[in-house]
Amino acid sequence: MKELIDYIAKSLVDDPDQVKVTQERVGGKIRLELHVAKDDMGRVIGKSGRVANAMRILLRVSAAREGKQASLDVIEPR
Amino acid sequence: MGQEKTTLEIIAPTVDEAVNRGVSQLGITRDAVDVEILDSGSKGLFGLGGRQARVRLVLKQESSAEVSAPGSFPGKKSTMPAAESSTIAANEDAVLQTSRETVKELLEKMKVFATVTAHYTEPEESGEERQVLVDINGDDLSILIGRRTETLNALQYIASLIVSKKLEKWVPLVIDIQGYRSRRTRQLQQLARRMAEQAVHTGKRQTLEPMPANERRIIHMELSSFDQVITESTGEEPNRKVTIVPKK
Repeated sequence: MKELIDYIAKSLVDDPDQVKVTQERVGGKIRLELHVAKDDMGRVIGKSGRVANAMRILLRVSAAREGKQASLDVIEPR
Repeated sequence: MGQEKTTLEIIAPTVDEAVNRGVSQLGITRDAVDVEILDSGSKGLFGLGGRQARVRLVLKQESSAEVSAPGSFPGKKSTMPAAESSTIAANEDAVLQTSRETVKELLEKMKVFATVTAHYTEPEESGEERQVLVDINGDDLSILIGRRTETLNALQYIASLIVSKKLEKWVPLVIDIQGYRSRRTRQLQQLARRMAEQAVHTGKRQTLEPMPANERRIIHMELSSFDQVITESTGEEPNRKVTIVPKK
């Protein structure tokens, strides 16, 4: 799951070195957080969240393969 | 090359392990084989009654357009693709190759193992740009289509973005799974005609189920030559629907 988001994000941004995906369990679910450089936020979110939503849909398939549920949040750099 | 089709069947606890074992036995890379999942196996209860996974690896032939990059058959002499002789053709091949590899990579990261091929579509009308069509074939791929084609469209969108970024130009991909899109297109065209007839017959507007943009387009196109009705899309994504309105 993490590898999927990591691959997609790194392929879409201008600064792949700043892509970081963290994964934690919250209850029965997996929560992924995607961190990218500030200038790349738009690329991983997309117009009205289209890119982020497409990533969530693919993540759902990937999680279902492992019998799990997962969510994805894109985190704004501080 | 006159090289025979090499196949290998492997049994292992999981599909992943079977593929990895087979690939290392053959001393080649994952890209050089097509994986056919004969039995994805099952865990069984408390380790009892589980079935092992069975896969068949087929060494890819070197002649087709979807051939791997030269050098991916270690120890074997690779022929350069004929297209390399012309710059334009070589660029085109890079498009197909990048498209195929990107989709394959995405699927592998999603733990979906299937055969991926890429080719150009013939333009329906002259002047129309030809599209890259990526075909995915394998067992039990319904998980990749999803409700209202949602998953397939997401995969297609992400793959298009990645390929376009890699090639630094916009490359709209169309991804199909086991001929799903062409089947669906025919169904939608039939549905469009049936509903148009109903609209004319009853004199009442007919509203269809919500559909993604590409499917609504098929309905609009199909009925554009029907002069007794007009079609319009109403509502907000993802619940946008086509309405067929009889002309007074």
